[in-house]
Amino acid sequence: MIEVRNIYKSFENKDVLKNISKVFNEGETNLIIGRSGSGKTVLLKSIVGLHEVDQGQILYDGRDFTKMNPKLRKKLRQEMGMVFQGGALFDSLTVEENVRFPLDMFSEMSGVEKQKQVDFCLERVNIRDANKLYPSEISGGMQKRVAIARAIVLNPKYLFCDEPNSGLDPETSLVIDKLVRSITVDLKITTIINTHDMNSVMEIGDNILFISDGEMCWEGNRKEILHSTNQKLQEFVFANKQYQRIRDDKIKE
Amino acid sequence: MKSLEQVGKYFELLVRVFSKPERHSIYVRQVFNEIDNLGVNSVGIVTVISIFMGGIMTLQVAYNLQNPLLPIYLIGLGTRDTLILEFSSTILALIMAGKIGSNITSEIGSMKVTEQIDSLEIMGVNSASYLILPKIIAVVLMFPVLYIISVFFGLIGGLIVGPAVGAVTATDYLNGIQYLFNSYYVTYSLIKCLVFGFLISSISAFFGYTVEGGAFDVGTASTRAVVNTNIMILVWDLILTQLLF
Repeated sequence: MIEVRNIYKSFENKDVLKNISKVFNEGETNLIIGRSGSGKTVLLKSIVGLHEVDQGQILYDGRDFTKMNPKLRKKLRQEMGMVFQGGALFDSLTVEENVRFPLDMFSEMSGVEKQKQVDFCLERVNIRDANKLYPSEISGGMQKRVAIARAIVLNPKYLFCDEPNSGLDPETSLVIDKLVRSITVDLKITTIINTHDMNSVMEIGDNILFISDGEMCWEGNRKEILHSTNQKLQEFVFANKQYQRIRDDKIKE
Repeated sequence: MKSLEQVGKYFELLVRVFSKPERHSIYVRQVFNEIDNLGVNSVGIVTVISIFMGGIMTLQVAYNLQNPLLPIYLIGLGTRDTLILEFSSTILALIMAGKIGSNITSEIGSMKVTEQIDSLEIMGVNSASYLILPKIIAVVLMFPVLYIISVFFGLIGGLIVGPAVGAVTATDYLNGIQYLFNSYYVTYSLIKCLVFGFLISSISAFFGYTVEGGAFDVGTASTRAVVNTNIMILVWDLILTQLLF
């Protein structure tokens, strides 16, 4: 479980996050949604420590990340996996080497055990016959799946995904969503996903935080979103007529 | 004020670079990769440049020594000392700042803007040390080797061009390059090479590591890295010449 308490963050006197508090549960897909520029990426990067918060606490199963020294943070980071918007795979390494990298760095496994774990993770994300290819030789969807495999190779307790569906077609996006959800449930990890993809919200939104202009605007789950009377949320989620129709149909049901 | 801030950040980065590595074996492997990428891959260009510069230097010295009172073997001596003292260390360093330096800046800069560096940090890897330390070690180790290769091929260039255009005979040239040889000149230049190797790799890495934005900014950072490295090479050339002579 990850808990953020009263987080504030500003850049050059511009407040980007204002008093954000939220509990992100274990075994659930926790979503942070909001318009572009609403502060959701800053929030995610603050949670993982890529940005230092100005005020507030970030607790990983009760351990205060904001008060940890660099050594402890480094140790905690080995319990994290992150999938970046662009995949962030290492260009100079093959698919297999990318997934193996965290094992080479931090595990005491033998070469055979590492290979088994790499194969298992690649199998888990349905990547076959691409082990020796470089990231530039595979599609965007495959890159995202390899990034997920790399993120889970050390069996993390916390998984973070920054817009995992950006730039992907709807079918591949659905595959990625289902994959992240099944990993979250199977491995009982705490997953936080940053997204503005409404398909993801409706498909895997167990616990949703909607932020607008750096402030917490609404929280709930994908069912509650349909009945929410929050004006900003309604405008954001149901901006598309198709979603408005889906909402109306679901409410009728 | 901004320059001072940059200098402060540069030293801050160096502290991170020289902190304890996570896994020594991986760093050693990276050092060998970088020796191949930055050092061995530069041998070709160093050889070509040195042969031409050696030849040109021989011609320049010959045209400037057209005096019957001056012994002809001074052409070889002039070429040798110019190569050993300045060309193969300082001028080569300026050229290598363009080749190796821009390579380092653009590689690290691209990793920065595509979040690969963030990705390393999230894994708990000291990205500064993992990416920069092997490059510094590789360039510092390889630069003296490139210097020796440059001196050798520069002298060969003179030996080819001088007799070919009739500026000097091969015998006089060979006598000249052996005349009054002072081995300290080589020691002095090797010391300079170590310092220049460090400057090229660390300054270029700094500009790559601190880049913000996109591809355009990586290009700008590469240019700034080369300009700043060149200035620092000349400043340190002056300082070391004063200190070592």
